[in-house]
Amino acid sequence: MAAPSAPAIDPVTLAVPFFILAIVLEIILARFGKVKAVYEAKDTATSLLMGFGSGIAGLLTGGVVFAASVWVYKYHLFDIPMSAAWAWLAIFLLEDLTYYWFHRLSHERRFWWAAHVNHHTSQHYNLATALRQTWTGGTAGTWALWLPLSLLGFPPAMIAIQKGISLVYQFWIHTEAVRRMPVWFEALFNTPSHHRVHHARNPRYLDSNYAGILIIWDRMFGTFVAELDEEPCRYGVVKNLGDFNIVRVAFHEWVGIFSDLLTARSLREAFFYLFGAPGWSPDGSRQTSTMLKAQWADMQTAEPVKTDPAAAS
Amino acid sequence: MDQKYIITQLVTLAIVAGIMGLVAWAKIPRATPALDEAEVKHRLAEDFPQAPLDQIWLAIDGAGAIARSGDEALLLFRLGDSYVSRSLAWSHALQADLIKGRYWFKFNDFAAPKASLALAPDWAQAVTGETI
Ligand SMILES: [Zn+2]
Ligand SMILES: [Zn+2]
Repeated sequence: MAAPSAPAIDPVTLAVPFFILAIVLEIILARFGKVKAVYEAKDTATSLLMGFGSGIAGLLTGGVVFAASVWVYKYHLFDIPMSAAWAWLAIFLLEDLTYYWFHRLSHERRFWWAAHVNHHTSQHYNLATALRQTWTGGTAGTWALWLPLSLLGFPPAMIAIQKGISLVYQFWIHTEAVRRMPVWFEALFNTPSHHRVHHARNPRYLDSNYAGILIIWDRMFGTFVAELDEEPCRYGVVKNLGDFNIVRVAFHEWVGIFSDLLTARSLREAFFYLFGAPGWSPDGSRQTSTMLKAQWADMQTAEPVKTDPAAAS
Repeated sequence: MDQKYIITQLVTLAIVAGIMGLVAWAKIPRATPALDEAEVKHRLAEDFPQAPLDQIWLAIDGAGAIARSGDEALLLFRLGDSYVSRSLAWSHALQADLIKGRYWFKFNDFAAPKASLALAPDWAQAVTGETI
């Protein structure tokens, strides 16, 4: 067996010039009214600097993550050749399924939400928002979810390449410039419309559309929510940040966890502060997304649906 | 850390600066007209759907508002071209510091530690008789 090596190609590095060009185009086209896109200067700076910092953070933990993948691969169950087309199809599906559960965990459990929340802190949804990436993902350990793929026998380089392809795919869907893709595409793939819903803080849209490339997982596991034209997405998190400070963007939920742990009165409370749903509190004085959705549903039955186009502003 | 890496990072930062310049030139943020009472009610109802509003005080620059809902104060303040909301105890809201014409409210929340509103000096007193 040849020693597994680092991937010869990194899709993310290769795509960086395309990312820059696409952002520049989106801004210019929006400037001339050709596409819908909203950019606010400080918000954009925050997104881009989060992306820049994420690259540095990834460099620090990336080696450990790849080494873990190589170590697990030593015990792999099957020999999966990188040269076989079926192997690429298999890794495409399995990596995307892994991504779905990683992403779902990252929203539904606070410890991992703390690492992912920064991606959702912008009240805007444009291509720059896509680059608002985590600084603490490596530390949060969610990369371990991909280790079973190494154990199965997918070469670590193959997994790394597919993870890169997924990240690159997810860049272009962060836009309001595309309203809907063709029906067959919307049915199968994650799209700007589906991911807008994922970034929305409207109670109706919370905790949905965790897909990476294929939207089929959300449809299979019951987390799919379609975007409704009559309910425009309001972007951001349930409690939006008070300023554009990137340190706050990167670490606010970690600080929140830490200060809650200091007040925990039992191990049980400490456990739920760490691994409960975001918004969990011992006395129910804060709201989880499940509570917010239930409250919203109650109000819908109490009064007829009222949609206001001004909500889009 | 080799030289090539440092150069790559500097080039990346230069590109970030370039995009910032482009955004400044394009001027494509959301419009931020001065808030009126209806808009404040609409936005607070999104974030605090079950809180009845007893009274609203608009900031004089139209960039925010404070509302009383029983023992709670609900704040709405502009951030860039968007808005952020928070609640705090009404009694705490009355202790806001007045600095250069702006009232500073503290939230005990690392995600949004404080916010300021340009309120009329007698904003609470005028209506409730309470002293600030
Ligand atoms: Zn997410
Ligand atoms: Zn996203």
